[in-house]
Amino acid sequence: MVIRVAGIADKMAKNQKQIAISEFFEKNKHFLGFDSLQRSIITAVKEAVDNSLDACEEARILPDIRVKISKIDSKKDILELQTEDNGPGIPQKSIEKVFGQLLFGSRFHAIRQSRGQQGIGITGVVMYSQLTTGKPTHVLSKIANDDTAVSVNIGLDTRKNKAVKSDQTRIIWENDDLTRKEHGLRVTTRMKAKYQRGRQSVFQYLRMTSIVNPHADIMFTDPDGETYHWPRVTERLPSKVDAIKPHPHGIELGQLQRMCRESSDSRMTVFLRQNFSGVSMRAAKELCEAAELEITVKPKSLKPDDVRALLEAFQGERVVNGKAIKLLSPPTNCLSPIEEMLIKKGLSKTIDSKFVSTMTRAPTVSHGNPFQVEVGLIFGEGMAADKHVEVLRFANRVPLMYQQGGCLLTKAIESVDWRQYGLEQAGGKGVPKGPAAILVHLASTNVQFTSEAKEALSDNEFVFEETRRAMLEMGRGLRKHLEKKKKMAKTREKFELINDILPAIAEKSASILERPVPDLAGSITKIMSAVICNETTTWNKETKQVDVSITLFNYTSRARSYSLLVNWPEKSGGEMVGNERGGRKEAMGIWGWKIETLEPGEKAVVEYSLSKLEKGDWTETEVFFRGSQDVIGATKLDEKMLVEIRKQEEVLNQSDAPSEESGESSEDSEEGVAYEPGLVEGSSGQTTLFGGEY
Amino acid sequence: MARVNDPELTKARLHLVVEEMYDRIVKGEPPTMTLPVRTKNNIGFDKKLGVYKYGKKRSTRDATSLGSAKNLLRALHVVEFIEEMIEAGKSSTLREMYYISESWGLGKFGSQNESNNLAEDLEVVTTCLREDFKLRPEEDGARMIGNVTIEELNRRGQWMTINARDDVGDSGYGVPYNVEVEKIRLKEHDVNFLMAIETGGMFDRLVENGFDEEYNCGLIHLKGQPARSTRRIMKRMNEEWDLPVIVFLDGDPWSFRIFASIAYGAIKTAHISEYLATPSASYLGITADDILAYDLPSDELSKKDIEALNAELSDPRFADGWWQEQINMMLEIGKKAEQQSLAKYGLDFVTDTYLPEKLGEMGLA
Repeated sequence: MVIRVAGIADKMAKNQKQIAISEFFEKNKHFLGFDSLQRSIITAVKEAVDNSLDACEEARILPDIRVKISKIDSKKDILELQTEDNGPGIPQKSIEKVFGQLLFGSRFHAIRQSRGQQGIGITGVVMYSQLTTGKPTHVLSKIANDDTAVSVNIGLDTRKNKAVKSDQTRIIWENDDLTRKEHGLRVTTRMKAKYQRGRQSVFQYLRMTSIVNPHADIMFTDPDGETYHWPRVTERLPSKVDAIKPHPHGIELGQLQRMCRESSDSRMTVFLRQNFSGVSMRAAKELCEAAELEITVKPKSLKPDDVRALLEAFQGERVVNGKAIKLLSPPTNCLSPIEEMLIKKGLSKTIDSKFVSTMTRAPTVSHGNPFQVEVGLIFGEGMAADKHVEVLRFANRVPLMYQQGGCLLTKAIESVDWRQYGLEQAGGKGVPKGPAAILVHLASTNVQFTSEAKEALSDNEFVFEETRRAMLEMGRGLRKHLEKKKKMAKTREKFELINDILPAIAEKSASILERPVPDLAGSITKIMSAVICNETTTWNKETKQVDVSITLFNYTSRARSYSLLVNWPEKSGGEMVGNERGGRKEAMGIWGWKIETLEPGEKAVVEYSLSKLEKGDWTETEVFFRGSQDVIGATKLDEKMLVEIRKQEEVLNQSDAPSEESGESSEDSEEGVAYEPGLVEGSSGQTTLFGGEY
Repeated sequence: MARVNDPELTKARLHLVVEEMYDRIVKGEPPTMTLPVRTKNNIGFDKKLGVYKYGKKRSTRDATSLGSAKNLLRALHVVEFIEEMIEAGKSSTLREMYYISESWGLGKFGSQNESNNLAEDLEVVTTCLREDFKLRPEEDGARMIGNVTIEELNRRGQWMTINARDDVGDSGYGVPYNVEVEKIRLKEHDVNFLMAIETGGMFDRLVENGFDEEYNCGLIHLKGQPARSTRRIMKRMNEEWDLPVIVFLDGDPWSFRIFASIAYGAIKTAHISEYLATPSASYLGITADDILAYDLPSDELSKKDIEALNAELSDPRFADGWWQEQINMMLEIGKKAEQQSLAKYGLDFVTDTYLPEKLGEMGLA
């Protein structure tokens, strides 16, 4: 897609005199995102906010983003949009380029995951503003090195297709509290647009943006003066992503032609090894052989038929010795997933709910493009039970708000039979119903859309399968949660029965009959006739720790003995403190205690806290037991499962080491074997046994 | 069937319920309350009494689930409350008891339905009447018009003599909730039979047309499913004065049920059927025959109607041949009709033609 828009920009540059901006806009407004008054304001916000987030990320600044929309003229549908960030700002000399040129920037040759892939850029907003109101856009920019900020109006010369600056001055930019703004950018623009609420709105866009950008602090004031705030939930910036070279499997003819044309390399092997990822020296030679090209030929001199032949060799249609040329998988460290814990936080801050499960799949590759799927599921009372679940789709951290039905990610959700996991779904097909929201994020260097509107992802069996698998895992987690909730409710009832109701029956009947109050022990054992485990996991505001308390009651007529085991977020950096009973580590994230023999009517308590976590990180503890008699409120430990976890642990420990090495050696592409292709594929090691919490 | 109101006996019977719970706890078992199953599967014809009564099936409510444990606790509170009322010489409505339960803590009722059901449970277990418990229903009794003279004890403790034709207005004599001998005495009458009528519209039509005087009968407005006191006063007049009871209702499955509760006893009150049911009562109409014979304006049976008719086919109270025939016929024609559909032939048709014809068949006109 990037290529296509770039193509249009190229074309525009060539035919500058003939095509007026207004004409360009009119012809392409559907994919520029300005096809309706309602959508225009969303697109404008999106361009501005995406730019701010990208700029902050590059400058390693935690973004504070303020968006304000006000009504200027209701009759004529004129709105004013003001966006402000604390990003690095734009140097005075670059302002014209950023706001006045279409698709200016270096990202078109670099292959990496970025938000900006998906729009025409802020220039589109300036154009739209000018075309609909005749007014320029005001820019206030301050960089850290300057004392003052630049204040300037940017318009467009519609005949020359050039930015026009006016009223440029330098001013002192002060914050509301009269301190000086260190750096940042403020854009104020007016446009013909309509503000609306609902599923497709600025509000929803910002809400979704805040979910996948938990490191951002976003504030929004709508035309009614209502202010919404999505606070930052982590201080951790998204990891810096490396740009990678294109992989032969993912390249198109036009792109290859251009790369050849623009190449200054002296021979094919150098060209292939330096401009593509996954091509070793041997592979470069074999590719030339398959394409019947001399390895010494200059790429610049290739004829169209030669380029075509090379592409066929890339795609395995031309072979050497009856075999397609072996290429290495592209590296996957060019991706920046949000990561499970942060998705959890992002979801929890916008939707108030009890159960959140998230999962980041291992990165993998489709047609030479690395990609990674992340999903989240939130379930609880706060949401409508009789409506379709909310589907939150994202590509490279950008919310997708339109064309939900036609999107690959939606199709993957629909392909799951959610009924078995406790959600309603007519006929086991379609988007399920229930008090839940499902989040899907695709991180990829090459996001493919169904159309230029860039709102729905096009079909891709690998992405589909990854998403579907992650959904199934979420579903299993949800089912477990619901089953547990049901069991807990039953247990709570029983406790109310023996602690409150039964004593009241005994007292009242004794008082009516004027007899002594009878002893209850016998009745209690008969009523419960079970061993019961009661677990509470609560956030302690004062100590900033998660307090866990587990009580095991023996309400049977025999003495019983057990071992109890719990899961805890060891992998996410949690630390177990105040565990006075001791016990021992049974596996990664699994702790166990031997409980002394419990006589009938006796109970045992296990207590500990988890530190180094934040509120909402850990809300539910799963309790397992070893012992013969069933325990209500705990799951019988499957020893095979424990073995499995230990095995996974070993695999993970082994896989950690080489991937670090590969990270270092990626700079020198001498060998080009930096990435172990087998490692990322089919790594079902993610399948957790505890419902997607790991 | 005369009844004696003995507060001590009532208390003793209630104590048996409490003792069952207490003794179980002492034995180290969950407390229980045992009561007859109250569904149509557990009612049978009592030949001696001529009415349907609960059979031998018993269910045990034990405190092993929160719901039934709460129910037991509530029962204890109700027992205590009844004892207090008996001592203080007061009475309360079921609704008042529901509100009083607000102060019962864990034993408080979740809904009025719960308190009504529990009152019935205690009646069933103790074989007492709720009148013995000093509990009144909310619904008012029937209206009655006709040459019938009654003595009623008023609030000041004086016996008033009321003639239900000469001493009342067009709305008739209002039957109180308690019609037992300590409250109502049947003095004298000059009527040949009693006619119980389902709808107010039809009752008013017969009153306006002077049907009670012309045919020398007492008219009783049932107000849909009749209250206990309505059934009880009909029963008393039937027994003490030997008056035939004729029942004139809409022609639909629900009216059949009303008739069954008058004649054979209601499933919910089968424990006291002998006090409430009038086995000799006869059904006048509207019958399925009538819909065809008089070509009455009718409605299609709804799904629920059909379900109700099918349920009636297996209800022991409708086991006799005539009822089976009527129910099957209604299912066959798929139609039901209201009493007031007779107005198709004019306002006087019911009093001039329909009722005389039907009463003639019964030998009453």
